[in-house]
Order: sequence, then structure tokens, then C-alpha cells
Amino acid sequence: MTFSTLFRSLPISLLYCVLLTPIPLYFYWGIVNELGPDPLRYLEHKYGELGLIFLLITLSISPLLKYAKINLMRYRRCIGLVAFYYIVSHVCVYFFLDIGLSIDLLLSDLQKRYYIIVGFFAFITLIPLALTSNNFALRKLNIKTWNKIHSFVYIATILSIFHFILMSKTWTGELYFYTAIIIIILILKIKSTKIYKKLSTYSNADISK
Amino acid sequence: MRNEVVNIIGSHILKILKYSDVTPYNLYLDRRKFVEALGLTSLAFVATPIAAKQNYSTRAKANTIEEITNYNNFYEFGTSKTDPAKYAHSLRTNPWEITFEGISQNKKKFDIAEIIKGKAIQERVYRLRCVEGWSMVIPWIGFPLRDLINELEVDNNTKFVAFETVYRPEEMREQKRATLDWPYREGLTIEEALHPLTFIATGLYGKELPNQNGAPFRLVVPWKYGFKSIKSITKISFKKEQPYTTWSSENPREYGFYSNVNPNVDHPRWSQATERVIGEGLFGKRRKTELFNGYIEEVGDLYKGMDLKKYY
Repeated sequence: MTFSTLFRSLPISLLYCVLLTPIPLYFYWGIVNELGPDPLRYLEHKYGELGLIFLLITLSISPLLKYAKINLMRYRRCIGLVAFYYIVSHVCVYFFLDIGLSIDLLLSDLQKRYYIIVGFFAFITLIPLALTSNNFALRKLNIKTWNKIHSFVYIATILSIFHFILMSKTWTGELYFYTAIIIIILILKIKSTKIYKKLSTYSNADISK
Repeated sequence: MRNEVVNIIGSHILKILKYSDVTPYNLYLDRRKFVEALGLTSLAFVATPIAAKQNYSTRAKANTIEEITNYNNFYEFGTSKTDPAKYAHSLRTNPWEITFEGISQNKKKFDIAEIIKGKAIQERVYRLRCVEGWSMVIPWIGFPLRDLINELEVDNNTKFVAFETVYRPEEMREQKRATLDWPYREGLTIEEALHPLTFIATGLYGKELPNQNGAPFRLVVPWKYGFKSIKSITKISFKKEQPYTTWSSENPREYGFYSNVNPNVDHPRWSQATERVIGEGLFGKRRKTELFNGYIEEVGDLYKGMDLKKYY
């Protein structure tokens, strides 16, 4: 059995198990105080960062197929949902542990803190995507509508990276890295849109004149 | 508030330890007990035993040495809190010279040993509040900065003191990158620098200062956000004008020259009303941040009549 057939036959349920294990694992390490001097911030950042990483992986699957002929389409829904579960965990740590369930703090954060506002919208944007990431919704919805809803993932990812930039004190290596990845993904996406193709054929036509 | 003040008075009762006989860490707790006993007897002259006891049963418990040495902002070694513990060993702190500017004496360069010699080395258990919204309690070893300034022939009309961290990209890996405008610089008004709370730390928990905490010579200004307490100092200048300071130049809207701890003046991007206490674990409660980090009785007069929202 070659590597690729092994990979293709990997059951989705196993993939869910593997990719989601860090959520309870990190939480357990937090409880037994294995996450360093500031376990709360560590857990909050770790869930958020992993959420962003899985979002970026989800977005890379279609360009990977197109440009590198690596087909991971079968796992896209799984990885996208995993990203969502990490982000839900991230929001839970913020709400239950960081601000300690305080609605007052939540409201004042939502009024004043740009990074919270942006992060909040990123989270809200992802909810309809998560709710429609199943066969039932796929059958019920017109494929065009479904595609439209799911193109919001680009907006959510851009908002997520802004959320990350806004909460950072300065530009770190990780920030440059994630921003570079999202820019590459966006360039590839824009190149594949109909509008871009139209525009570029026009400009090519201009040059040939 | 009262408890807080009593704590400071407590830490003012100088624990006269010579740097040379600083205790190894495993003997440290015994030494503390001994010092406490000493403090109790000396304080008995001025206060009731009950009040004296309060001085030393610190309401704010010091963080562990593991916490203090593994959770650091020292961007010269990387921007992650764990980077300094990983990479700071590459800094050579011996020999170490400090250059002074704005003094009239001929000798302007001093070896750190010359500076420490003859100083009454003390312990100060101070709160440290980071501008990022977390706090620690740290038992520093060192001497008040004023003890050093008073030995120098400082120029007349000095209004500010500027400090500079060492610049050695070969030993401080992040200095190879333009994360900040190196070298790191900080400053105080001369009144702030001469305040008895303003401290030079050369040790921690009865040991020599670990590199990640700013060895071998760092500033500690407990009523200001942590970034004012500049680490690994090689240059001190006495100036007439307000000096360049790194963070306030990097982002003047977010970080001011004064940067006094103040729960009523938010950072533009986050609240400063509360802080997470390091060491409280995953389910720890937030602590209400106090004006001047709880040192209002000591330093309030320095800022009398000042608009703290304008001069943040």
C-alpha cells in the first residue's frame, strides 16, 4: 500500500479524533499547572492560534489541488470544522476563565477593544459555515447559496489575522508568517475569480494591440 | 490600601546583607525567617507587635523563582515570554562596565564591582505590573538608585535620567532583527530617580540576578509599568531634556513617558482596570489594579496636580 492510498483511506472519524485531542489535552495540562506561569493566557492563545492554523489549512486545500495536484478535498470539511471547534474553545476560555463570565466586562470589551470586536465578528461569521457543514444542509441548500455562505471563510480568516495583529504589542515572527500565508492564499484566490480572469484577458488584449 | 503601605514600610526596614554573603537559594527561606525576626525586633520600637507581624506576613505572596525566571518580557532575546529563559545565557555579564554621562568628575566609566562595593545591599519585595495586564510579586536584592546618584557629581540643572540596555547582537539574538529600535532605552525624571522606592536590582531571591531578569544591573520602578524597569544597563545619562524612550517612541499613542500604573487610564487597545496574578493557576481571579500599583502613599506627591490622563 502506497503512502497516498493509505492517506486516502484514512477514515474521517479518526482524523477528527487526532485533530481534536489537543483541546482536552491542553485543558488538562492547564488544570495540573503544566502550561507555565500563566496557564490561562497560554490556553487562550494556543486554542486561538490552532484555530487560525486550521483555518489556513482549510483554505490551502483548494490551491493545493489546483497548483500541486495534492488532493485533500475529502478532509476539507473535517479540518474546517476542527478549526471552528478550536475557535469555540478559544472563545469559551475568554468568556468563562479570562473575564470570568462577566457580562459587564464583555460589553465594555465589545465597545472599546478593537481586537475583541474584530475577533467577535470573525467568530460570528464562522457560525453559519459550521451549521451548514453537513450533508443535510448541502442537500437542502442551492449549491450557489452554499458556496456563497462558505466564501465567508475568507472574511473570517482576514478578521482573525487582524484580531491577532491588534492584540500584539509588536510584529513577531509568527505574525509575519501567518500574514504571509494568508496573503498568498488570497492572491491565489483572487487570481481564480472570474472578475480577475476577465480583467487580465482585457489587459492582455490591450498589450497585444 | 493600608496593608499595602505597611508592606512597603516593612520592606524599608533594611535587611543588611552583604552581596558577598548572599545566601544560596536552599538556605534562603531560613535567612528570610532570620531577617523577619530581626525586623520584628527593630520594628517593636515604633509599632505594636500586631502591626509588626502584618509587615512580614505579606498579603501579597512572592511568586516562585520558577515563575519569575520563566515568564519574562526581554525582547532582546525574543518576543515570547519563554524566549529569555531559553536564550539569555548567551549574554556575558562579567566583566560589566557602566558609562555615565552628564557628570562632572573625570572618571565616567565604572566597573559594576566598584559601584556595588560599600553599598548596603537590601531586599525589596515589590509588585510588578506589566502593561499587558498581568502582575507578579518579586523579592529583589540590590540598593536604591539614589545611593548611587548621590555618589556622583551630577551636572546642575539635571531634570531627567536616561538609561540604556547593552547592545550586543552577537549575544542577544533578537537584536539582529528590527523588532524594536535597539538599544532599548528608558528614562525617569530626576525626582523619580531619587525616590527611595526606585531601586537597582543586582539579585533576586537571595541569588545573583539571572540573565533573563536583566543581569547584572537593572532598574526597578514598582509604581510604573514593567517596561520602564530597564534591564542589563550599560549607560546612565543625566540630562536637561526628556530623553528618548523606546516604547513611547515606538507607539506614542499607547505608551507614555510616565507610564505610571493607573487603572483609570486604559491602554488604547485594552483595559488596565484589572490584572491577572501570575501563579494563581487556570482558575485564578483577576485582581483590581491600584493607582501607582498601590504605592500612592509613597509617590502620590510626585504627581500632585498632574493630569494623569494627559501624562500617561
